[in-house]
Amino acid sequence: MSTSRPTKLGEAPKYAIILFVLFFAFYPLFVMFCISFKSNEQFQANPWFFDAPSQWHWENWGVAWNIVKNYIANSIVTAVISVALGMIMVILTSYVLARYRFKGRNIIYYGIIASMFLPGTAATLVTLFWLIRSMGMVNSLWGIIIVSSAGGQIAGIFILKQFIEDIPKELFESAQIDGASHLRQITTVVLPLSGSILATVAIMKFLGVWNNVMLPLVVLRDDEKLTIPVGLLRLEGEYVKQWGEMMAGYAIASIPLVIMFLFTMRWFVKGLAAGAIKG
Amino acid sequence: MTQTAIKTTPTAPGSSNSKFTLPRILARVKTVSLLYLLMFPTIVSMLVFSYYPKLDVVIKAFYRWEPGQIEEFIGLKNFQDALADPLFWNSFQLVVILLVANLIKMWPGIITAIALHRLASDRWRYIFQVAFVIPMVIPGLVWLLIWKSFYEPDFGILNRFLTLTGGMDLLSWLDGTKELPGVMPNIATSLAPIINGPVTTLFSSVWGMLTFGAVVMTCAARSVEPIANLRRAVLTVGLAVCTYLLVKTNVQGNSMGAILAFVGVVLFVISIARSSGPSWLLWCLWMLAGIWTCQERLYMLPVLVLVAEVLNFAVRKMTNTIAAKDIVKWVGLASVIIGCLFVAFGKIWVTSTGQFEFGSPAWLGNKDLVLPAIIFWGFPWVGTVGVLIYLSGLQQISTDVYEAAELDGVGPIRRVFSIELPLIMTQVRINLIFMTIGTLTAYEFFLILLGAAGGPGNKGMVPGLYMYQQAFLQGKFGYACALGMVLFMLVLLLTVIYQRYVKVEK
Repeated sequence: MSTSRPTKLGEAPKYAIILFVLFFAFYPLFVMFCISFKSNEQFQANPWFFDAPSQWHWENWGVAWNIVKNYIANSIVTAVISVALGMIMVILTSYVLARYRFKGRNIIYYGIIASMFLPGTAATLVTLFWLIRSMGMVNSLWGIIIVSSAGGQIAGIFILKQFIEDIPKELFESAQIDGASHLRQITTVVLPLSGSILATVAIMKFLGVWNNVMLPLVVLRDDEKLTIPVGLLRLEGEYVKQWGEMMAGYAIASIPLVIMFLFTMRWFVKGLAAGAIKG
Repeated sequence: MTQTAIKTTPTAPGSSNSKFTLPRILARVKTVSLLYLLMFPTIVSMLVFSYYPKLDVVIKAFYRWEPGQIEEFIGLKNFQDALADPLFWNSFQLVVILLVANLIKMWPGIITAIALHRLASDRWRYIFQVAFVIPMVIPGLVWLLIWKSFYEPDFGILNRFLTLTGGMDLLSWLDGTKELPGVMPNIATSLAPIINGPVTTLFSSVWGMLTFGAVVMTCAARSVEPIANLRRAVLTVGLAVCTYLLVKTNVQGNSMGAILAFVGVVLFVISIARSSGPSWLLWCLWMLAGIWTCQERLYMLPVLVLVAEVLNFAVRKMTNTIAAKDIVKWVGLASVIIGCLFVAFGKIWVTSTGQFEFGSPAWLGNKDLVLPAIIFWGFPWVGTVGVLIYLSGLQQISTDVYEAAELDGVGPIRRVFSIELPLIMTQVRINLIFMTIGTLTAYEFFLILLGAAGGPGNKGMVPGLYMYQQAFLQGKFGYACALGMVLFMLVLLLTVIYQRYVKVEK
């Protein structure tokens, strides 16, 4: 971006800064893999780098898999259903808010936006917990699913509404003349055009649900119902620490996210930039 | 609904002459109710899971609520207890320290984004940009637990690294032993007479010195209007007297007085914000004022403001306005710097921790080391998403601006302050708001790291964690709700102030 002809001397500090930051960003990732192949003794002796491959403890991964597979299944079910339900609500609402003017529209729109500026504190967790309890959903994944699909809609609605407003009206009108219903207009006009934005919103929501610790921590009790963060937390707390197995467990817990990112990375980088510029 | 529904985008074909024929009205009703039907899930879920719990907090704050056993209306009792609860107020002291730390921790992100933006090679920028997204695949909790493992006393990488590089010996040398204090405790001891002597006499404590410096600097940063100055002075003196009296009554156990004092403080902060305009320095002032609040010397704050005003006024009288501005600015900066040095060397490492001599300090298990460990956490404090957001702001800067700057001979460092920073102020401001709210309400991190009691000696007890502990461990749910209300009011106040006074200078 610099307009002057780049000199080697001028560029070096920039690379140095970026590489320094990236090193620390990736270091936990490296440590995780490195230690996941070690026994406690090997970790004690050499925490810095991989040992010779012949001494790798592959069985750490097997043990860890048996521990966390249940948690992962729970997390995937929770996250997928929450994101699906949440996205349906986000799309429907932002479609209506972006396209129509009617009585009560502003109240609803500002009501939705305002709740973003009413931050939840730990006290909200208290009342939310008792709400879930009175609905009889304590110690059930459904409690988590319903709450998380309702939460985190605001940012999605905010971004998507602006995006739909920018879609030329003629597209909707011509669909209308063809007799398309609301749902049909959404599937034929909105969805194809807003792919990358939708993907970004969905990924952010997925990450939010996947990383949610507090709600599952207070709502879920039984070991077979825990989601991955609470499961890992329990593992870290109760286990006589087997570092290799723990780190392998952490790595396995990250794999679903890796897979998701592999498929959506391109959209995500694009959508993040677009959304950030608008917001 | 029927009449205004006519504004709806026309959908019904075959328009009639009159607006109010029955079929037409029915058509509108049908259209609009269909729209509401589409939004129904969102509306209901927002009401039930977002608004209801928050509203319930407000209601339950007035109850003694221990579910299953007792639920009775007790009026303001919870709030009175909250204001008199030392643990709750101490937790705000920690928040203030963390806010200051986070304010500093924002900079590496901005610097990284600028470095990324200025790279000559577009290809490398894209590669780095993608690389910055990759660490997001680690779930937040895993990242937290891995960092926690770094701090382990025996296995942890941090202690190993320190031992390997000799950092541990250095720390041990600085720390010394209980019998024979090392360098840092010795410096603290030798500074003690100055801090307890002249500094305390003049400024009431080191924090007072910092606040004084910040106030003076804000004075220098703003324009001169005699009437505004007078108003400010009157306001300041009035509030000084009033808060002094109220704090006095609070000490005697009068909790209504405490509530009024709290209102007084809020008014004071708002009046300062109004009179000072958009200034970065103000944030130091507020944060330090917060520390002060916790030190129970609140009444000295307006006095210092008054002194700073007088100083500003006097210097302006002696020289011309522009020279005065510089002089006042430097006076303020000097007292902030000296104050910081006093805090760093005279207040923090006062006694020997005795943790380093055996080479395995328990960073999260010792009451003196918890705070440094939390502040160092996540080094070098670059949130990768934050960098990308800053970058997208930076990329909107047109190259003309750079060309103009180059013609004027603006160096690379000055370009940061004269071009890049002003142009990403929107993003910085958004980040600032979220950072402040986040720091005030955070508790997950501390719960996972230190447990519900906030670690050794309650050193890591933030307000949110205290709330959690009161509710889920002590069973005082109503009290937790009242604490939540207090915290919520603070957050709301800060948000409003940010929105109104931290303006974007274009």
